[in-house]
Amino acid sequence: MSDYLTAESEIEALEWLHDQGLTDGLPVVIPTPERVDRLVLATGQPADLTLGTMGPAGGAATIEKVAVAAVMAGCLPDHMPVIVAAVQAILDDRFDLTEMQATTHCTAPLMIVNGPARVDCGGIAASFGALGPGFRANASIGRALRLTMMNIGGARPGVSDMALLGHPGKFSYCLAEDEEVSPFPPLHVALGFDQFDSVVTVVGAEAPHSVMYSGDADAEDNHEGLLRVLAIGLGNLATNNAILTSGTATVVLNPEHAQILAEAGLSREDICQALYERCRHSEEDIAAVNPGFARGESTRTHRSCFTSPDQILLMVAGGAGLYSMVMPSWCAGHHRNSAVSRVIELDAFCEIPV
Amino acid sequence: MRDGIAIATKGLPAVALVTEAFWPQGDFVAESFGMPDIPRLKLPHPVAGTGQQKMREIADALVKQMLGALVR
Repeated sequence: MSDYLTAESEIEALEWLHDQGLTDGLPVVIPTPERVDRLVLATGQPADLTLGTMGPAGGAATIEKVAVAAVMAGCLPDHMPVIVAAVQAILDDRFDLTEMQATTHCTAPLMIVNGPARVDCGGIAASFGALGPGFRANASIGRALRLTMMNIGGARPGVSDMALLGHPGKFSYCLAEDEEVSPFPPLHVALGFDQFDSVVTVVGAEAPHSVMYSGDADAEDNHEGLLRVLAIGLGNLATNNAILTSGTATVVLNPEHAQILAEAGLSREDICQALYERCRHSEEDIAAVNPGFARGESTRTHRSCFTSPDQILLMVAGGAGLYSMVMPSWCAGHHRNSAVSRVIELDAFCEIPV
Repeated sequence: MRDGIAIATKGLPAVALVTEAFWPQGDFVAESFGMPDIPRLKLPHPVAGTGQQKMREIADALVKQMLGALVR
């Protein structure tokens, strides 16, 4: 169990936490024993249950330590099922967390929530501004995961987390899929889960890149233009996906763009296949911008950004309009930037009186 | 650094090559693995992308130290 520190006031405790590098730079809620116990109780699990070892520092991710991070992030008891599942997901070997935390790339775990947990776990936003400020569940849940990575995993900028700049999603990077407005089956169903499951999918992702497309409903090939600009953003020559290839990347369609593709008769699988086919570059073009990564093959040979269409995670979220988002990725580590999905266990959790 | 540790834990001679900018990370990883004294050599930063001539100069300057660390 954790050691306790004492302070004269919460302000003094906050300054101490800042001084020790235990915050993300913003004020945190002080993790008093009462506050931590409350979130541990919400999980329905023993405080000393270890979810795994978190690199690069090799800290034990106990339920209590995770609850400490959740308190600091401002979480409610209802948020805990998502946080515990997300921690389990990033501890999965396929996620390569230790390497990811240490890389010079800006990658951060994007959390995508599907199923009933979107409502049951504090109301995780999926519509207008879901990746921006103003939504407590999104902000706090994503922030809690980051604080576990810093304080259990030991990620410290410039010392053990060598991201050259990082990106704002390293503070918090969490949203839900808007399953109700999506014309496609939910992401978690496409990944093989039951539609009534609650699932969190984590994937290493760059900051979101906006993709603008103003459709023309009179044009027969309206969807073609949209696919083209999505592919330009997702696999552009400046990305690791174009050069290193093989890393799972994310496409967030706004409902209007999703509708354009659905009305063209395209399924989720069709869209991923179409993007996969469009995200490719000639060796000549790669050599022109990144000669160190040229393979010396025929300049007419093409390099696909992805190994298969399955490496494109497609979801629907945001307000309806001109802008969708793409998140290219890191593409390194033993498992090459694999996404990991984990069922969010809602039954094991206790309802805590306010 | 992790490669050096992995080789050393197999009982084989190992020396990690760490550039100046990543030296603190090397210390962090070595201490995290409980091997703070794992042999490592400091290289200038950057090395990647500096051209064949520069990399050859770095190798020439460090080769004796590198061999020394391996045969200790």
